[in-house]
Amino acid sequence: MSSVHKYTILQFDDVGFFYEKNKEFIHELSFTVSDREFIGLLGANGSGKSTILKLASGILNPSEGSIRLWGKPLQSFRYKDRAKLLSYLPQLLDMNVPFRVRELVAMGIYPYDIIPEMTLSEALNMVGLDGKSDLYIKNLSGGERRRAFIAMTLLQGAGLLLLDEPLANLDIKYQIEVIKLLKELKEKKNISIIMALHDINMALQFEKVMLIKDGKVLGMGNPEIVLSRDLLKEAFDVAIEARSFQTAYEIRNTGS
Amino acid sequence: MSKIKISMLILVLVLIVSASLFVLPKVINPFQMDTVERNILFSIRFPRVIVAFFMGMALGVSGAVLQGILRNPLADPYILGISSGASLSAVAGILSGIYFFGKFTIPLAAFIGASLVSVLVGFFGWKKGRLWPERLLLAGVGLSFLFHAILMLLMSVSADERLGRIMFWIYGDLSTADWSLIPIASVFIISGISISLSRAKALNALILGDELAHSLGFSVRKERLLLFVSISLMTAASVSLGGIIGFIGLLVPHVMRFLIGADNRFLVPASALGGGTLLCMADLIGKSILSPMEIPAGIVTAIIGSPYFLYLLGRRDVLSA
Repeated sequence: MSSVHKYTILQFDDVGFFYEKNKEFIHELSFTVSDREFIGLLGANGSGKSTILKLASGILNPSEGSIRLWGKPLQSFRYKDRAKLLSYLPQLLDMNVPFRVRELVAMGIYPYDIIPEMTLSEALNMVGLDGKSDLYIKNLSGGERRRAFIAMTLLQGAGLLLLDEPLANLDIKYQIEVIKLLKELKEKKNISIIMALHDINMALQFEKVMLIKDGKVLGMGNPEIVLSRDLLKEAFDVAIEARSFQTAYEIRNTGS
Repeated sequence: MSKIKISMLILVLVLIVSASLFVLPKVINPFQMDTVERNILFSIRFPRVIVAFFMGMALGVSGAVLQGILRNPLADPYILGISSGASLSAVAGILSGIYFFGKFTIPLAAFIGASLVSVLVGFFGWKKGRLWPERLLLAGVGLSFLFHAILMLLMSVSADERLGRIMFWIYGDLSTADWSLIPIASVFIISGISISLSRAKALNALILGDELAHSLGFSVRKERLLLFVSISLMTAASVSLGGIIGFIGLLVPHVMRFLIGADNRFLVPASALGGGTLLCMADLIGKSILSPMEIPAGIVTAIIGSPYFLYLLGRRDVLSA
């Protein structure tokens, strides 16, 4: 991997952000995301994971510091142009939207004036919803609904995906499928992914994790190193240990 | 399938329009008319049908757009107080006696009222950096009551003849429709529908939520502003034409969503067609069922609409959509 030259896609430089005056929520945050990187953003509830993703997507503007996308200030992009380069999937999705699966997924091409590379059926196929394109979103199961939204994001074809807890409310089977799907995409389509999650075992699946507490980075890098007992204790205020994915999967399946 | 449904709807519209023009409440044979009948046809029935159709289109589209931007199936300009705000502003304009803009005065005053109420409802609905649909609806209902009360007050203390019949401003009435306001109102309405249609993709994206709309490349603020301008234009024109008519904005988008789906690129034009058809029908019923007495079209739509409203309340899944 190191033999291939990597481009910097996203760059946070000393980013600070506060929702209320004088109450800083994100502190001097600096990191970079290169192409084909799959980064897990890990931290307790309220640690700032969602805020970081919203800053990265341009929904929130930094109070201090700068965010660059492909070397250009994020806020200088036109809306449509930015949407071709990055897409964001929020944690809370309105699962009762009145659309059919194909109508929802097809919205992924809205930033484009021409039909993009990937077709609707390809996107549906990737998330395993090909047979359900005519169903209404509200008639799908929780996991299928979330996969429909993921398919829309895939069709959008951006090189950087910002996913806020895409595994929430998914059965373990679909959690594994979604991770597998994203890893495949990363290889096939050369995309980078930042994904917020709170399951430390799942975090072991990533090549890089970023451990967050109170809007600060506790550690970033290889999960085996970052997810040490000490750092995890600091991040989650409780003594825990990351288990390998296989073990975690077995534990869940046996219900122990 | 949708094409068949839309064709059926157009057929129904043609039948209703023909009946309104030539049959009810009294038959006029277009090939054998005397002067009086010609007058009735061209000075009364024609403008009335056109007013009903344009108003219905405006109300249907406004409802579809509002339900989309607020992500709430109970939204329409009537419930949000935009209609009564427009109505109150128009009445205030008439009472002030200022006719700066000639024929434009009433629609313009109504537009200012509709825009102000949109802003006001938005102000009350805004908390912690975002719009809360429940707050918006409650604010709208509250403001609507207030405006109605002020309207009633103005009506009862003022003997101004220019206000015409009280029914017009409170319940909507097409019986006084003539050609005078049609040109300017149709410009308002066609502009409003065009804006809504051109922003249909953005509206679809807004239904998914502000953050996804942003991710799909839309400026949420700009799109919402444009859509509110289009609603204000349409509501102002429809109030100027025939007063406050409720329930069309609520009812029609739901029926159309059921018939052709929720994609606003199709829902917006279909709601225009459906709204126009429904109001023409309501007016036809109103003027012929107790002929020679007339029931204002607004009362007919309320009688059709209220049971549907209650039916909606009974369906939890619809409410959460």
